[in-house]
Amino acid sequence: MSTTDTQLSRRDFMVRSMATGSGLALGIGFTTGAIPGAHAATEAAEAFTPSIWFTMMPNGHTTVHVVKSEMGQHIGTALAQIVADELEVDWQRVTLDYPEGSAENFAVYGLAYTVNSGSVTTEFDRLSRSGAAGRIALVEAGAALLGTNVEDAVAANSRVTDSVSGRSIAYSEILSQTTIERRFAYPDDFRDIPRKDPADYKIIGQSMPAHDIPSKTNGSARYGIDVFIPNMAYGALVLPRARYGAKALSVDDTKAQSIPGYIQAVTVDDSFGKCTGWVVAIAETFPAAMNAAKALEVEWDAGPHGDVSLEGLLTEYRALQADPEMGAPWVDQGDVDGSLANADEVLEAEYTTDMVVHATMEPLNATVHQVGDTWHVHTGTQSTSFARMTLTAYLAHFLGQPAEEIKVVVHQRVLGGGFGGKQDYDEILAAAYCSHQIARPVKLIQTRETTFATSFPRTPTLHKLRGAIQGGAFTAMEHDIVCGYMGPRFSVGKAYGSDWLQLDADDGSGRDIDQWSIGGSDHWYTLDNHRVRAINHDQTTWAVQASALRTVSNSYNYFVVESFLDEVAHRLGRDPLDLRLSMLTGEGGSRGIPNAGYEPGTGSDYYMDRLWISLPWPAENSWIPYESATVGGAKRLANVLRVAAGKAGYGKRMPKNHGMGLAVSAAEERQSPTWVAGVAEVAVDPESGEIDLQKLTIAMDMGIAINPVNAVAQIKGAALWGASQVLSERLTVKDGAFEQHNFDTYLPIRLSQVPEIDVEIVESGNHPSGVGEPSSTVVAPAVANAVFNAVGVRMRHMPITADAVKAAIQAT
Amino acid sequence: MVALTINGYSYLVDAPPDTPLLWIIREELRLAGTKYGCGIGLCGSCTVHVNGEAVRSCMVQAGDVEGTSITTIEGLHYADSHPVQQAWVEMQVPQCGYCQSGQIMQAAALIAANPAPSRDEIVEAMDGNLCRCATYSSIVGAVERAAEIAGSEA
Repeated sequence: MSTTDTQLSRRDFMVRSMATGSGLALGIGFTTGAIPGAHAATEAAEAFTPSIWFTMMPNGHTTVHVVKSEMGQHIGTALAQIVADELEVDWQRVTLDYPEGSAENFAVYGLAYTVNSGSVTTEFDRLSRSGAAGRIALVEAGAALLGTNVEDAVAANSRVTDSVSGRSIAYSEILSQTTIERRFAYPDDFRDIPRKDPADYKIIGQSMPAHDIPSKTNGSARYGIDVFIPNMAYGALVLPRARYGAKALSVDDTKAQSIPGYIQAVTVDDSFGKCTGWVVAIAETFPAAMNAAKALEVEWDAGPHGDVSLEGLLTEYRALQADPEMGAPWVDQGDVDGSLANADEVLEAEYTTDMVVHATMEPLNATVHQVGDTWHVHTGTQSTSFARMTLTAYLAHFLGQPAEEIKVVVHQRVLGGGFGGKQDYDEILAAAYCSHQIARPVKLIQTRETTFATSFPRTPTLHKLRGAIQGGAFTAMEHDIVCGYMGPRFSVGKAYGSDWLQLDADDGSGRDIDQWSIGGSDHWYTLDNHRVRAINHDQTTWAVQASALRTVSNSYNYFVVESFLDEVAHRLGRDPLDLRLSMLTGEGGSRGIPNAGYEPGTGSDYYMDRLWISLPWPAENSWIPYESATVGGAKRLANVLRVAAGKAGYGKRMPKNHGMGLAVSAAEERQSPTWVAGVAEVAVDPESGEIDLQKLTIAMDMGIAINPVNAVAQIKGAALWGASQVLSERLTVKDGAFEQHNFDTYLPIRLSQVPEIDVEIVESGNHPSGVGEPSSTVVAPAVANAVFNAVGVRMRHMPITADAVKAAIQAT
Repeated sequence: MVALTINGYSYLVDAPPDTPLLWIIREELRLAGTKYGCGIGLCGSCTVHVNGEAVRSCMVQAGDVEGTSITTIEGLHYADSHPVQQAWVEMQVPQCGYCQSGQIMQAAALIAANPAPSRDEIVEAMDGNLCRCATYSSIVGAVERAAEIAGSEA
């Protein structure tokens, strides 16, 4: 490596060829010193750290390094398409790898965290710029080798061609014949790197087959549950007495002793505040472990949440909502109180939503073992970074060792579904504890039953809405939300005296807000007077371990907002389509943020900003110029609504008891919207109340569809997720424990219930945003609105069960 | 001890005969393509063929299938190119993929028994296989495509 390293600015972005075992490879990345906050050990050495994002080998193969989790969205393929297009590389020679979660990789790649339908939204900018940087360096080197002007050299298909003479040279030849060292001052040069006009895309916008699909058709894909370590033992969890806070006072394993292969029972150290009341049966085989778990007799202290029930929570929610002093304003525009006081009529409604849970097809599991001074974790997780940090803090806690002396490496596996459900790491901690107790590798597999019992559901919610109608117009909206915030629970480090991760919903101004639990209520309609009051019910957060579930709060808030808007429209005697279009003007706060740079601390952005900067990750990665996903604002929402309504034939004559309903959403977050509209067509049996969901029409503007076939598959899958939630999924809590433990009582949608789905992608050419989740948010309100249009009953609870519809019809 | 024939190979496994076949296939023989999903026969992730018929391996005791011919996803086709596998790649069916071994085994058994299934027959045959990513819309079309490929190969 060149001695010029130390002369480089601390803020250089580098494209450089360097020696490898097989010759010269093109690496791309920062000089190590350019990563403030990097791991101390690597920061000390001012050196070029290549292989952020991609590496090109002298044989012409390009490897794109993917720090996102593969959990069904084929994200590696999409990210590689972004790099490859700007790099002008032969797509057939692009492969992927997935860096493991280690302290060293954290310093290089930053936070590995896959959530919020955010991967393309957040990565597009820097990946496309890094691909372009690589191309620029190769074109300059190629032009020199060809003896031509850089201006005359063009790159395509892994070759640089002199457009004057027609002579060309392959990327592999360039790498073999010369060395490259091209620097881009960061951030200015990097930001100014010219990128393609979308019209010139060759790989982006093509439905490239996903890299991970063949392995998922022949059994060779390796999920967390498929890990085998020599000499490993199996662990199975005893169903805990309560979801959270129970204590195992004693464990009698007399009966388990007679099970062949049984090793011992381990009561997991839960003083860290995770894995409370976990007792694990350890055995030589998993069937023996499961049998032993059933045979263990545990004496319980049910703990502080042992009597929690859904009904009790809702009673407390209503009391909180009735107290005007509770909570804090999340949106507070105009004069809501005055508008309500002066209104001709105030429309009031209470909405509630039940808990739902991820129920990933792959039950939760982790395999952990210690080799020398390093703890190895094998699992499929949505964050190798947080998994590593959490386990490090836990090990430090129960081993009584300084965290700095503990080394954890998380070996990422394919995830058998994520949906927000693989970011809590409890089984990792328990497997590590068990492994330490028996001094062997332990593979802890949660049965479907314990996966349900220890799951992290979406919070139950209560909403009180008031709409002011004056002079035939909708003039104000007040929306109170009561739920268990998920944010504080992610600050478990704070609650339990560890400093590994401290998120704080309270910024010191008294605004106790959790964006993840409230987002979506800050809708994009132009309404001068609008207030959202957010009220946390703290016990819910802990008792049910409220968490993120595909689209997070958007799933209930859009159900409520979009249903209520229909209520308003019907009261005004206006068509819901007409009312929506009149309010989706894209003016004022709903105009979107122009390409002017990310301005933290404004409006509802403030929490996300606080969140990201509070994390110990490289500052370079905090530059997230994805505000441009909002360009156009609500006008894009109006556009997709017109498209969806048109495609669905909205307004056509419907048979008796049939109805069509529509809804829009801008999930996920305010600064990362994907604009989506949906129309649901239902037939309702007035006798039984059964809803037959016959057709969904979805129109989505995600700016640019990186991989259209996959985008459509994601949109359809997410839409069916929404259908499943509104029609049949329901998790309940009684005596502090969840009542549903398997697919006999918890009912995800099946093939026979799948409606016709018509998807229209609207490519506006703006900054691309995520497609994995947003369509799910329009389905529930569209169905509720369709049910109203079919049989005239307003369903204000999710899920909408047949019994509830029947009762509502009978009450009219 | 249990004697099993899986994918044409004979195995003698040191396990109680009442052990669910699933766990022997997965954790003892490490043919890990067969997945555990629910353990009560309601999700189909563990589907294998016993004498050509699709069964839920979590619901079958190993001792009861001695002397049968068991096929897992790994043994479906010598080059991973069974018509169903071809169709699954062509139609880009899998998302997270966890349930897909079971989906593919279920579909393969269907078209072996019914070379040209109707849409309703496909839905009926595949309804016991849960997919949490809801790849269902792709699955129906892919089974039809698999039947077409199988027909052209025959």
